[in-house]
Formats: sequence, structure tokens, C-alpha cells
Amino acid sequence: MRPFLFLGIFLLLVTPIGSSVVWGGNNGACFSCHKDDSLSKQDARGKKVSIFVAEKEYESSIHGRLSCSDCHTQIRDDSHAAGGKAIDRRVNCASCHQGAEKEYKMGLHSKMIMKGTERAAYCQDCHGKHGIRPSKDPKSLTHLSNIARTCSRCHSDKEFVRQHAMGAGPSPGDLFKGSIHEKTGEVSCTSCHGSHNLRSLIDPKSTIFHSNIPQTCGACHPQITEQFVNSIHGVLAARGRSDSPTCTTCHGIHGIKTKADPDSPVNERRIAMTTCPQCHAAERISKEYGFSKVKSYYDSFHGLAYRGGDTFSANCASCHGVHDIRPSSDPKSMIHKDNLQKTCGACHPGASANFGKGKIHSVASISGEDFGEKVVGWVRVIYLFLIVAVIGGMIFFNFADWLRKTIERRP
Amino acid sequence: MTKKYLRLTLNERFQHLNLMINFTILAITGFALKYPTAFWVSPITDAPAGMTIRGFIHRLSGVAIVTLGGYHILYMIFSERGRQIVRDMLPGLKDAKDLWETLKNNLFINRPAKEIKMGRFNYKEKLEYFALIWGTLVMTVTGFILWYEVEWLKYFPRWTYDVARAIHFYEAVLATLAIIVWHFYSVLLDPDVYPMNWAWITGHLTEHEMKLDHGLELERIKASQKAELADVDEAASVGGGRVYPARQERLSPMQRLYGTVRDLNETLKNWRGN
Repeated sequence: MRPFLFLGIFLLLVTPIGSSVVWGGNNGACFSCHKDDSLSKQDARGKKVSIFVAEKEYESSIHGRLSCSDCHTQIRDDSHAAGGKAIDRRVNCASCHQGAEKEYKMGLHSKMIMKGTERAAYCQDCHGKHGIRPSKDPKSLTHLSNIARTCSRCHSDKEFVRQHAMGAGPSPGDLFKGSIHEKTGEVSCTSCHGSHNLRSLIDPKSTIFHSNIPQTCGACHPQITEQFVNSIHGVLAARGRSDSPTCTTCHGIHGIKTKADPDSPVNERRIAMTTCPQCHAAERISKEYGFSKVKSYYDSFHGLAYRGGDTFSANCASCHGVHDIRPSSDPKSMIHKDNLQKTCGACHPGASANFGKGKIHSVASISGEDFGEKVVGWVRVIYLFLIVAVIGGMIFFNFADWLRKTIERRP
Repeated sequence: MTKKYLRLTLNERFQHLNLMINFTILAITGFALKYPTAFWVSPITDAPAGMTIRGFIHRLSGVAIVTLGGYHILYMIFSERGRQIVRDMLPGLKDAKDLWETLKNNLFINRPAKEIKMGRFNYKEKLEYFALIWGTLVMTVTGFILWYEVEWLKYFPRWTYDVARAIHFYEAVLATLAIIVWHFYSVLLDPDVYPMNWAWITGHLTEHEMKLDHGLELERIKASQKAELADVDEAASVGGGRVYPARQERLSPMQRLYGTVRDLNETLKNWRGN
């Protein structure tokens, strides 16, 4: 570095002060100073900021043919070079890119800037400064393969995450690594979040607003979204019920994995253990919507075998469907009374019409609503009484027998 | 050498062994389903397709035990010994009395303890035998309902299936606890037999064991042996002391061949030449 430092100082000394240069058209004049990689200035807080510009990088960029002053519009006179005045605080990309600016101004990053957040992303934070390349260029910061890395520069930065109260868990970028979306190489942050007009989670126009998620995912998965929006979950989500699940509730968010992956929440081993029960066994939601079927499932043959790891045994989705879950009152529902024979018959060939009749999620109780529940409840009570009486009697009898024989044998 | 009394023939011992193995398998594979997260089930749930194989083995053992039950019925009907077992197994008022007196002995109400003479099958064994028959019937019927639920649910409402399921479970609890508490006490932990009653392996009881649990049967055996020996001349001089039967009724071909040779020898030796 040292030779360059000396070279820099030398160049500064030999630069003719007060000489007249035409600012614009010829970038050579600018680079005559700014090609020095030790060139720096102090910002308003006294922090050292490099003002070095790599000439080759700039020339190979999409803007390489533009003159410096096309963007740095306010640097027009010799006083810049003379005093090194930083008068051009911010380059205005919008002078050319009006459309992008219009979008950007509706987005979260621009709002954060207006709120005074210091590190909110501006054009150059994502696109780069002098080395901007078109998004199609694999070397571009905004090329699909680089977007995750570009966003992670802030969103995986622990200090940044802490300052902006973005949560203590793993960063979205870390979660995204190893996800099926990352593996395909066709999806990145902006595919779901949007780019210039990226909006906040709480903005109803946001692509990631709760009830907009099905449409966001539907951009690539249109058939599934079509099924989902007509399901009970989709209908309720569209009505704005925040309790109602959307795609991400079951599939996960940044770290979505294929259902074959044992870590995926939609893996068949996890569906009935964690994924559906996260709501359907939750106290608050169960009370609100009046369902609590998970326990009865766990105690059923299906549930017991499933809990033991039997993958042939039915889980929630086997009977209720996956994306097109509908209430039993809906004639299109897999668990509608007219469809139960077919649904059960998928695993129980030859199931009769009678097979699907009767309460499935029954809970044995002598005070149950259903007749069968009552009968089973009474069977249970009678048997428990019988077990206690018979086995208790045996224990009493044998213990007395043992006691007498032991006492008789005392030395 | 102490005298031995036949308790279980080889055939019966194999029936017992078969029941023992299959009952254990059924209990383990059955409760493994009901308590899939219990610590002792982890070898099953950790194994690949463990739970699926568990179900298969449970059904297989169920079939084995039902087959054994069928064989046992045939054995009880078509063998002379089996028919005698049925006659001796019939419960009577004496069994209730024996149980009552034992209880009084045990609670020190009878002082001194009364000596209780019981028959070939005492009240403990009769209770257990009938409990086993009842349990096997209940488990077979409910088990097949659960197994062939498609066929069953063609004719019966779903709640009957749920009832069968509940009964199958609670009867299993009852049966397993009964084996542990009742059977294991009488054949293992009872101070009279501890550490174990060997009859299930050797097939016989000692005279002491007979006296303790089957006093009446012991007396009957001795009386019948005396009666048999009454016909034998030599028995008179020793007071009917011979314990082996004078004449064996059923002999193997080899024994019969040997017997023929022996008889021939006797005849030759005793031949006076007239």
C-alpha cells in the first residue's frame, strides 16, 4: 500500500491548483484524482469515507459511457478539486430512472429514510455505486444469484438487526440458505418481497401482508393458490382473519424445504405433530373457533400409530386434504358426509357407505354428546372399576397369603 | 429320590410355552401402540418401519393364540386326559369354601391355620383358567373387529368399533395385571414355591408340592394306587408299597418288543418242563 500512498500524495501535490478543467465529457480529469485508492474525505460525523473510484470497474459498468457529471450534477467547477468540497451529497438516479424512483418512494426503504433511519437502503445500497451492472449480468449485485447476498449485507448484519429490532433469531438470509427456493436458484428475496416498492409486513398492499401471501406464492405456484383461496383457510385469510393460516404458516417462511425433508414442517412425520396442532391444539384459537380435535386424533388408532412413527397411518392431511381443506358442511370437502366413503376408501379398500358414518373424533366420556362417546365412556368406567376391584382384590389376597407364609417361616 | 407326580404332559407344556411367548409378544406390541412415547417403546419406534412391523407381529401372535385356543379345545374334547382335565376343572362350592378358608387362614382368623386339602385343580388355578378363557374370547372377538373393521362396519355402527377398541385395551390391562399379580405370585413369589414352580419345565410336582396345593388329589392318587396294587400278590407283603403301576397300559413299539422278549424269558425261566 505504501507506494500507492506516496503516489497519492505526489499526485495531490502536482495537481495544478486553479487550472481550468472542463467538468464533464472527459472522465479523465476526475479519475486523475479519484483513481487513488487512498483518497478519502471526512463525512459530517468525522468518519473517514473513501472516495476512490475504480476506473476499470466503472468503465465496464452499464453507466460506463456516461460522464461523471451526468450523475454528480453539482460538481461543475474547479472549486471541487481545489477544496475537495463535498458538495454533491447525493446522486439523483431519478433524473433518468423516474419509474424506479416512483416505485421506490412507495416502498418501505424510502419511508424509513423519511423517518430518519440512517441505514435504510438507497439506490446505491443495493445496486452499487460506480460498478452498477444490469440485473441480467451475473456479476450484478441485483442479479438473482446475488440478491440474497446483497440484502444480507444489512439484514444479516447483527448490529443492524439489533438497531432495527428485527428479532434475535437467525437472519432471513441464514434461513434462506439451504431452502428449496435457494437451491432452485430461481427465487430470491425480491421474488417475494418486491424490489423498489418493497413494503412493510403491516402494509395491506405489501406482497407479504398476511392475506396477500397466497397471491405472492401463486406467482410461481398458481394451481396451489387456486386450491388454497377456495379452502376454508384461504377464505378466512382473505377476510382478514389473522388467525387463519396462509402458505407460510405451514411451510415456513425463509427456510422453506420440500416435504421430503424431515426438517420441513410439512414433512409427513411433522404435519400432525407440530404443523396442524400449532393452531388446532392451541388454547386461544381452539376456543375462538370451537375445535379441539387433536387430542382425539392422538388417542385414535391413526394417531397412536402415527405418533409411533407409522407412516402408513392417516395424519390430518390424509382425510382433510392439504391445500383444499374445506369444512365438512362443504359438498366439495373430503370429509363431507357424501365423500367420506371415498376418503376412507383411499386407505381402506372396500369401505362401505356405513364406514364413514358416526363420529370420528370422538372422546370417550359418560357425559359426552354422542351416544357412542357415552357408551365408550361407560365401558371405560366399568372396566376401570373392574380392574381396581379384581387386581386390588388379588393384591390383597396374595399379600395376605405371603405375609402369613412369611410369618410362619420366621426363625 | 422324591416321588414325582405328573402335572403337565409334554404336549401341555408346549401349549403353556406357546401361550407364554405369544401372550408376552401381544402385551408388548399392544401396549407399544397405546403408549408410543413410553421409554420402553423406543426400540420399536426407532426401528425402520418399526410401528408397521409391530402391527404385523401383533396380528400374527393373535392368530397364533387363537389357533392355540382352537387346538386346546380339540385337546380337551378328543383326548382322555383332556376330558379328565375338564371334569376336574369344573368349579364347585368347595372351591369357594377353600378360598374363604384360605383367606381366614391368611388373616389369622383361623388359629391355628386350617389345613386345606384341595383337588387336582385348586380354586386359584380354576379362577385363572376361566379368566384365561374369558380373556381370550374377549380379546379374540374385539381383536378381529379391529382387524377387519371394513367388514365389521358394513353391518354395525361406528360406535361399536369404538367400544371394541376400548374393551380390547382395558381387557388387555386386566389380563396383563392378572398374570403379573395372580399367576406370578402363585408360580414364582409364593413362599411355598419360591423361586419357581418347575412344573412348566419338568412337567411334574413333588409330593410336598402336591400335599400343599392338591392334598385331596394326592390322597386320591394314593388310594387308587393301593387299589390297583391290591390285585398284585407281592404287594400284600409290602403293604401296597409299590408306587409304579403293575402293568403299563400304553407302551411304545420298542417297549412292547422289549416286553415280549422279557415275557418270553420269564416263561422260559419258569418252565418246569411238564
